[in-house]
Amino acid sequence: MSRVAVGVGGRLTRSQIGFLWSIVMPVIALFIIIRVIPILVVLLMSFTNYNLNRPLVRLLPYQNFIRLFNDPNFVTAFINSTEFVLVAVPLEIFLGLAFAIYLNRKVRFESLYETLYFLPYIVPMVPSAVIWKWIYAPGTYGLANYLLDQMGFPRVGWMSTPQISLLAVIGIHVWKQLGFFVIVFLVGLKNVPSDFREAAVVDGATPWQVTRRVDIPLLKPVILFGVVMATIWAWSAFTEVYIMSQGTDISTGAEIQVLVTRIYAEGFLYFNMGYASAISFVLFIVSLIFVALQFRVFKVESA
Amino acid sequence: MSRKSFMAGKQSAQTPWGRTGLHFFLGLTSFLMVAPFIWVFLTSFKRSADIVTETPQLLPAVWTLENYLKLPKVAPFVRFFLNSILVSGVSTVFIALGSAACGYVFAKYRFRGKDFLFFLVISTILIPLQTYIVPLYLLTWKLGWINSYQGLIFPLIIMSSGIFFLRQNIMSIPDELIDAARVDGASEWKVFRSVILPLSLSPIAAISIVNWVYTWSLFIWPLIVANSAEMFTMELGLMYFQREYAVDYGGIMAACVITLLPVLAVFLAFRTRIIEGVAFTGMKY
Repeated sequence: MSRVAVGVGGRLTRSQIGFLWSIVMPVIALFIIIRVIPILVVLLMSFTNYNLNRPLVRLLPYQNFIRLFNDPNFVTAFINSTEFVLVAVPLEIFLGLAFAIYLNRKVRFESLYETLYFLPYIVPMVPSAVIWKWIYAPGTYGLANYLLDQMGFPRVGWMSTPQISLLAVIGIHVWKQLGFFVIVFLVGLKNVPSDFREAAVVDGATPWQVTRRVDIPLLKPVILFGVVMATIWAWSAFTEVYIMSQGTDISTGAEIQVLVTRIYAEGFLYFNMGYASAISFVLFIVSLIFVALQFRVFKVESA
Repeated sequence: MSRKSFMAGKQSAQTPWGRTGLHFFLGLTSFLMVAPFIWVFLTSFKRSADIVTETPQLLPAVWTLENYLKLPKVAPFVRFFLNSILVSGVSTVFIALGSAACGYVFAKYRFRGKDFLFFLVISTILIPLQTYIVPLYLLTWKLGWINSYQGLIFPLIIMSSGIFFLRQNIMSIPDELIDAARVDGASEWKVFRSVILPLSLSPIAAISIVNWVYTWSLFIWPLIVANSAEMFTMELGLMYFQREYAVDYGGIMAACVITLLPVLAVFLAFRTRIIEGVAFTGMKY
């Protein structure tokens, strides 16, 4: 080769092409095989009756989706997932913002508080959910009821009253994810130029006014990112619900199921792959609609 | 302290009361966030007779290791632990190298179709594994990889946000450095090894640690792919253990501590890197 030093802007050299095909193209091929194709296939499969135990696959243009509406398990799961999103997302965003704003007030031990808030987020969900399940245990075995007893409140059927069980699971989810939002909002707040705050302070603004008029408006893109992540995670919650509905000390297994536990049950307990795909399709579409709506709302507000 | 940050600090609660109130609020809430872990840690050292009592005691009356020592006897927890290390370790090696190489190409190469390939990699970043888990399972099944290490690991060897993160970082490496190496006759592999990798160690470390933590914690994929005890990861082993020995709170809590501890140790050792990496990637695929 005459020109060895082909600049970054020029054509690819033989060596560059070799590098591209030996390592980068295989990685991209993996993306196609592991991500892109399964995502397309799940959409197609939701129109079939594919079952691992049945050799014949038939096309069902709409039957799976009609069946969803008449399936009490799915309807329960759908309602629960909706409640999950509607309760968890505002809580995570609101609490995350509050903690981040207080942490940003130049307090001592800031990194210690930050670490503690973040800790539940970084550790695995299975042990965390197992721990909470024990805290929620019935009678005075569970710490939650013991503390209620001590404070003179009546005990609560954490794992025997369906409405409360679902809220208890949402509580685990919020507690677990909160640290992420604290960190993301804190990073966002640190990027707000301090000139803006100074100007407001010079004009006599109180800390609360600075927060409302300077920090929050400038934080909007970060809040949108937070809301999108919170929504997707709430729709796709699984582990905490699964752990909570396991075992003999719980009497609300079927009542607290959500969309992903239905996908798991239909697909991997009954092997109704087509029907499980239809539920995945619903999960995919509702998350998409919610995320699109959030972009809409934020766009309108900032316009 | 610069004048600027001093000024910015002035807007915060100035009175001693405000300061104390702020510390009280932050201290109490952050303590509540980790209180369940403290409770479980202490419980795991209690004798079983001291665990389920009318009035729970915070500290063990007698400190004992019996809950930990019996674990390997009731279930192959050593195997679970090693499986978890293997799965998360292999995944992390793939992701570190793949993200760096792809990040380099997407940052510095110019060729037709690059933007499309980048779009392909990034477009799935927000779609959780749960939505396409059915076809992924069928693929694993067709490959004959159900209940095998290959099956456990292969969906975990790619990471959109890792490529994106490395691309952002490698873009800031000056082209002159790369060209200088090429003029000296270095092959692309050599450039990658001796220029790109050494200059990207910090972002690669951030991605690797975050990915390691994520794969260590993953539950739904092992749950459907591993169906015999010798393939279980820690998470899965813990789940079956708590289901089977539902009243053995001491044992369950000891198993929880063992599952949590590696992540806790890694987190405390690499706190800043993890927080930086998570704030960027969201720690999901």
